[in-house]
Amino acid sequence: MAGSASSGENPSEVRTVAIDAEVLAGKRFPYQEDITLVADIDLLAATPGPDINWLEDITLLEEDGIPAVFDRYSNSFLKIYFDIPQGQEDDIARKVLIKHLVDGNSYGISLKDIHCKFPQVELGPWVDKSRIVGENWKPTELEGWSAPQAH
Amino acid sequence: MASVGSRSGVAYDARGLVEPHAEMPGNIEIDGVRARFDAADLSIRQINMALRQLIYKDGISDVTVLNPASKHSLAVGILKRCRIHFEGSPGWFACGLIDGPEVTINGRVGWSLGENMMSGVVMVERSAGSLTGAAIRGGDLIVKGDVGARTGIDQKGGTIIVGGSVGINTGFMMQRGRQIICGNAGENLGDSMYDGAIYVAGKVKSLGVDCVPGEWTDADTEFINRKFRVHNLGAPPTFEKFVCGKQLHNYDSLEPSERKLVI
Repeated sequence: MAGSASSGENPSEVRTVAIDAEVLAGKRFPYQEDITLVADIDLLAATPGPDINWLEDITLLEEDGIPAVFDRYSNSFLKIYFDIPQGQEDDIARKVLIKHLVDGNSYGISLKDIHCKFPQVELGPWVDKSRIVGENWKPTELEGWSAPQAH
Repeated sequence: MASVGSRSGVAYDARGLVEPHAEMPGNIEIDGVRARFDAADLSIRQINMALRQLIYKDGISDVTVLNPASKHSLAVGILKRCRIHFEGSPGWFACGLIDGPEVTINGRVGWSLGENMMSGVVMVERSAGSLTGAAIRGGDLIVKGDVGARTGIDQKGGTIIVGGSVGINTGFMMQRGRQIICGNAGENLGDSMYDGAIYVAGKVKSLGVDCVPGEWTDADTEFINRKFRVHNLGAPPTFEKFVCGKQLHNYDSLEPSERKLVI
């Protein structure tokens, strides 16, 4: 099996070839299975500029034979399990992705708090306000190691 | 963070950051959610530090930077929606890696404007150097004048609009996204492109490997009319469309991990 855990399996135990958003997160999110949770998302309001801006490039794709949207912030596919109305494929894909990002569930976002070296907003431009991460980064120190004299 | 060393007399910290102790400029004027400051006597680090402080922490959503004086790497890595206006001309790598800002520049810019831009809008009133929009992933990058060579090299998304002409190797290895060129295009347009579309209103000196004329659709008309309308660019001229001939690269044969590199 490449990609995702089906219902009942422990996602962390599934060996994958592709990287799947729910495998990275260790769980499947409700908005992957329920269209009503994304129906009210305003794509224009969630994007900079006078149109949908970067979402222009987001379209409904497929991963492991399942409809999916690509999350560039974690380099992974987010599968969509509900029936997508005909003619709304790209619109629904964009809404699911924005919901995923606004809720802070993208794996790349979860890494920021630990690894950011410079102060930046934790969430991206899809929210008005976000906490700042990366203000107190300290270089990793290996116990018993010191830099060679030449450095 | 304390400095940890120096090379050629320049101090740097563990992040590789020079000027570890740069201080916020004292000449910032704030009026509600707007701010402006003169960058003439500031270092690059001070200018970027001021932008981050104002936009991330002080609740400022509209910043004007006076006299950028061709300094490099200004407004890089801003990851929040806001408006930034440069009164003058930034240097190389302006607005790289941005995710959200809407930037206006009333001068010209050097190489690599909007390199790796993720989202937002950058509008330049005059011309830009080579590598404009290199590896851009999303958003709209508009240059009203001419641009240099290799515009949108390795482009992975987004839209680049050029009011004038573009140099050689425009769209080289372009993987997704769109370019709208109102003037002429130099040699090797779209060389080795994987996907995406390039619209040219003027003359094309030569097409690159595997770049071929594309079929015009209603979606192309809707897209171009919308971009010209929302950015107040007037009436669009008549364009010819160029796409990948799919003879050199083939998406369908890519492994999933390879496919992710081009989406």
